[in-house]
Amino acid sequence: MRWNICSKTSLLLAFHVATAFALHEQFDEDLHLRPLRDGKLLSRFSFTTLLKGATPRDPQLLSVDDEAQHYTLFPLALGQVLREHAVTELHLSLNAGRWNYEAWGYPDEPGVGTGAELWAWMGDSTQTSVDQRWQGLRNALAGLFCASLGHLDEQRTTSPSLTFQPEGSLPNFTYPHRLRHATLPSEHVCTENLTPFLKLLPCKSLSGIASLLNPHRMFDADWHGLGVHVRYREDAGVEVRLTFQAVFDPVRSSNDRRRDWSLRSTFDRSIERACPVAHSSKVRVELPHGPSPYSITPEPTGISDSVATYAVDASDEALDVALRWPTEGSFEYPNTSKVPPLTDVSVRRTLKGTSQAEAQLTLVITNNLPVQVSTGYLETMPWHLQFYLHTLKASVNGAARDDLVSILSYMPPVPHSRPALLQAVLTLPPSSTLHLTMDVLKPFLRYTEHQPDAQRGWDLPPAVLVPFAFGETASQNHTVSQPAGTIQGSLVRPRRIYTSILLVDLATPDFSMPYNVIILSCTLIALLFGSVFNCLTRKIAIARVGPTPTSAARQEDHTPAPEPQAQ
Amino acid sequence: MATLHIDPTQLSFERPRTRRYIIASYWLVVLFAIPLWWKTTSIDRLSLPTSRVYAQRKREVSFPITVNLETKDGGNAAAIAREVQSCLRMDQAVQQGSAIDITVTSGDKSNASYNVVLNRGNHEPSAEGRRLYFDMYPEDDQLSHDTSVARLASTLSELLAPYGTYSGSAIQSQRVMKYAPRYRLAFTLLNEDAASGNGALAWDVQKAIQRHVSPLLNKLSVLHNFTIESQVQFHAPLAFEPRYIQQDGGDVHGLTHEDLTVFVNSAEWTLSSSASNDPVIHFVLFIPSSKHSPLHILEEDGVSVNPSNAFLLPQWGGIVLHNPSHPPSSTLNPLPRLALSDLDLIFNTFAYQLLTLLGVPGLPPRVQSVSAAEGAPPEPFTDWELDALLRRRAVENVWGSTETLESIVRLVDQIEGMPVGPDVKGDVQDALSALDDVHETSRSSPIAALKASARALTLSSRAFFNPGMLALLYFPTEHKYAVYTPLFASVAAPLVGAVLREIAAWRRARKAAQAQQQQQQERRPGERAKVD
Repeated sequence: MRWNICSKTSLLLAFHVATAFALHEQFDEDLHLRPLRDGKLLSRFSFTTLLKGATPRDPQLLSVDDEAQHYTLFPLALGQVLREHAVTELHLSLNAGRWNYEAWGYPDEPGVGTGAELWAWMGDSTQTSVDQRWQGLRNALAGLFCASLGHLDEQRTTSPSLTFQPEGSLPNFTYPHRLRHATLPSEHVCTENLTPFLKLLPCKSLSGIASLLNPHRMFDADWHGLGVHVRYREDAGVEVRLTFQAVFDPVRSSNDRRRDWSLRSTFDRSIERACPVAHSSKVRVELPHGPSPYSITPEPTGISDSVATYAVDASDEALDVALRWPTEGSFEYPNTSKVPPLTDVSVRRTLKGTSQAEAQLTLVITNNLPVQVSTGYLETMPWHLQFYLHTLKASVNGAARDDLVSILSYMPPVPHSRPALLQAVLTLPPSSTLHLTMDVLKPFLRYTEHQPDAQRGWDLPPAVLVPFAFGETASQNHTVSQPAGTIQGSLVRPRRIYTSILLVDLATPDFSMPYNVIILSCTLIALLFGSVFNCLTRKIAIARVGPTPTSAARQEDHTPAPEPQAQ
Repeated sequence: MATLHIDPTQLSFERPRTRRYIIASYWLVVLFAIPLWWKTTSIDRLSLPTSRVYAQRKREVSFPITVNLETKDGGNAAAIAREVQSCLRMDQAVQQGSAIDITVTSGDKSNASYNVVLNRGNHEPSAEGRRLYFDMYPEDDQLSHDTSVARLASTLSELLAPYGTYSGSAIQSQRVMKYAPRYRLAFTLLNEDAASGNGALAWDVQKAIQRHVSPLLNKLSVLHNFTIESQVQFHAPLAFEPRYIQQDGGDVHGLTHEDLTVFVNSAEWTLSSSASNDPVIHFVLFIPSSKHSPLHILEEDGVSVNPSNAFLLPQWGGIVLHNPSHPPSSTLNPLPRLALSDLDLIFNTFAYQLLTLLGVPGLPPRVQSVSAAEGAPPEPFTDWELDALLRRRAVENVWGSTETLESIVRLVDQIEGMPVGPDVKGDVQDALSALDDVHETSRSSPIAALKASARALTLSSRAFFNPGMLALLYFPTEHKYAVYTPLFASVAAPLVGAVLREIAAWRRARKAAQAQQQQQQERRPGERAKVD
């Protein structure tokens, strides 16, 4: 039926390629550029492919042969992985650098934690367990994206289902859905991850907006990260969104320290030709609202809510958007102590202490709003750091306020196998700073558990804060307005704030230890053996003292001793 | 004062005999410990059924085939059957290593696996199901009769043993995919550059597969299972520049025969998903960019265009080049969709390539295929071919699994440090019994024989790739000694030293005793002389 409609319509719209084509699968691409107040430029590429009318695979049917998969725009390599492991929703992000919430505000894509983060909602099944498929999934993705996601094993996997709610809908399978979440903060995103990422795009990096994804420039950015998001939309189908976010510094790359930028100066490329299969292909530039006048070239296709939009498919010549501040000389950085932070909540997490056995974890959370804010707090901590939960103390301005921590749930770690999961709700008083401290234990690792670069220490995953309830007097102008046109739904959903990652220095042994142990214990055994053996087989001799020649004294066996003296 | 005068050699624990006992007991402990040490540090090497493995080489699979002849006009079928049988006896292809044993009978329709209906006329032979319609020449003289019989015999031999001989490595034909119980068929529509204006954005792949490939797959389902996937790629650059030539006044881009070998640009094209380990058969429909359009395959000389636009990469898949004909109005836009009518010819080629890659032999040139019922779609290939393929795959699997088993045995013989666990031994034994099953069932059911041979192949390769066999290769014995030496050297030194010292003392004592005896003997005659 669907095919019939498809072919009929394609006849009708034979000349309108994109429309005729977009019936069963739809591909939209979008580049969002936002000048930041510290002179930087935020760019977010978003490539959305929608497989209309498709549903995720029911894990209960995994033993039955899957139906044939025919894709036009949807990436086959990723689609087969999703089918093979019956994944309903999947989020993978690989980021490098620390997202500066205070200066840059909330990111367009919420997953900005440093390193790799993977979480998936999968239906439970009696055929193959969720954990088996989770293992298969991370190995398949590791192969697909050339990232060491295979290390996201049981020692890093948790299920914090309150913080990581599904972004799409979950189909009604026989058994309920389960969440698996793991982070690998030491993973670094680089060209070898971008190349397979680009291969998943219908137009690769050869036409359309994706042609701007120039690895030389992308990995030179102050912050960069790629993301793969798969969700099921009940009314539409299965949607794959591939995103790439980067924060560039035009001031750094310009000769006269100006913040002017253009596509060519930023990406070293311009959009030469449109992707022939894109349903829509837009470049959106958020216009600055500072006092200094600016100019934007070429003339945008449309402007609404201070966002200039360019339709890439409409332009015949190469598109090179440029934003300039003609009257401005070299860029003046804003005084950070004078401008308010751009997020509702600022958070800083540190690990204190010098000993190799114990330390103190400190969380400083500042409420930037004049109203009370409730926030969820999540720690998924590998067992490389173990909490003394009874030492958890909250204080505001030096006064103990333990009542601000509520609904605490804690799953203790199991050394060598399971991470700890700590969830709590923190109540932040208006415009004040909450200090949270907790003593932690640094455990001993087994000899084989150390990393190849053991002396470097262990990266610990970021904590996540989710501000969800703002005091009743909260007015709209206090919350930082999300730039218009971002994905619907992210406005109503609470936004996640990732803390920076930590580095913990665990006691490391001398790695020549096993051989030393062998040598030392062998020496001891040999010593013991030697003395016992010597004692048992020793000959007692009689030494003569006196005028007799020494040679005679040695001949103890046969010569009788007229005047013996015991030795 | 009296205790001081006790001779220490007279103490019970200071007697040489006691000391020797002590040293001996140490050495006894060492001696008894050696077997224990040997047992705990030796590698688990179970014995493999070597002789049974080598015996497989001498066994040959044989499928008995009965062909029944019947005549429409009451001719003497039995006589013809005898003549055909004797003709087949002399046929080298049937007799040597074809793994079949043909019996030609007449009038026994029920037991025969194949039937030949003889008629008089001049029509070419035609095959339908497991039946062959064959026309003897209508003339009655001996010469035309003999020619007819010889023709029938050679037709039968080509139908039943189309591959020639099976012996040795010749069986591994260059083109045909290795046997696997499941294949993944990956259909890809590759646009070299869809943004350049020449290309197709979608195709009616499901319908085309339904029409051209599915009948084949249904018929082949006794041999293999198939997973199908398809995708479209819009940018698939070539790794080389096609040759530019002029032909009939137009510009043509051509692929030389060398270009064909490097045509697949595996660095840039992702042609199949890697969701499973099943072997993939690729089918690529390549649409050149407007820069390289039209693209053709060149003849060997490199200047003239080959009429074919498809080629086959052995054991990999098939590629079809497609130069879409543009209506003049839309020269700049790519085609929105390749309709089923455009794909008919292409998927016919894919279907033919699939048959070739899977080793379906095809009918002898003069035999035609006819469908059983009027108006029914023609069978993709006849049962004669299917059976021949089945037998060929069974023999190939038996050969492959025998080869693998021999390799395991040889390898285990060669490498001393290679462990052989119970799972390897079990797999080898199971593979051998599966091979026995092949020989047993080949008499009755070729399908059961194929299943057993596939099992033997899987088990033998699982045994060969058993990860447990590699375990100790990475831990050489030298390492073991390096760990032992600090202990054993320091313990062994006093032990050996004590033994040597004791032996020296014993010798000295004996020498002293001898000397004393001699002295006494020498003294005695002297005393006697004095007395005398």
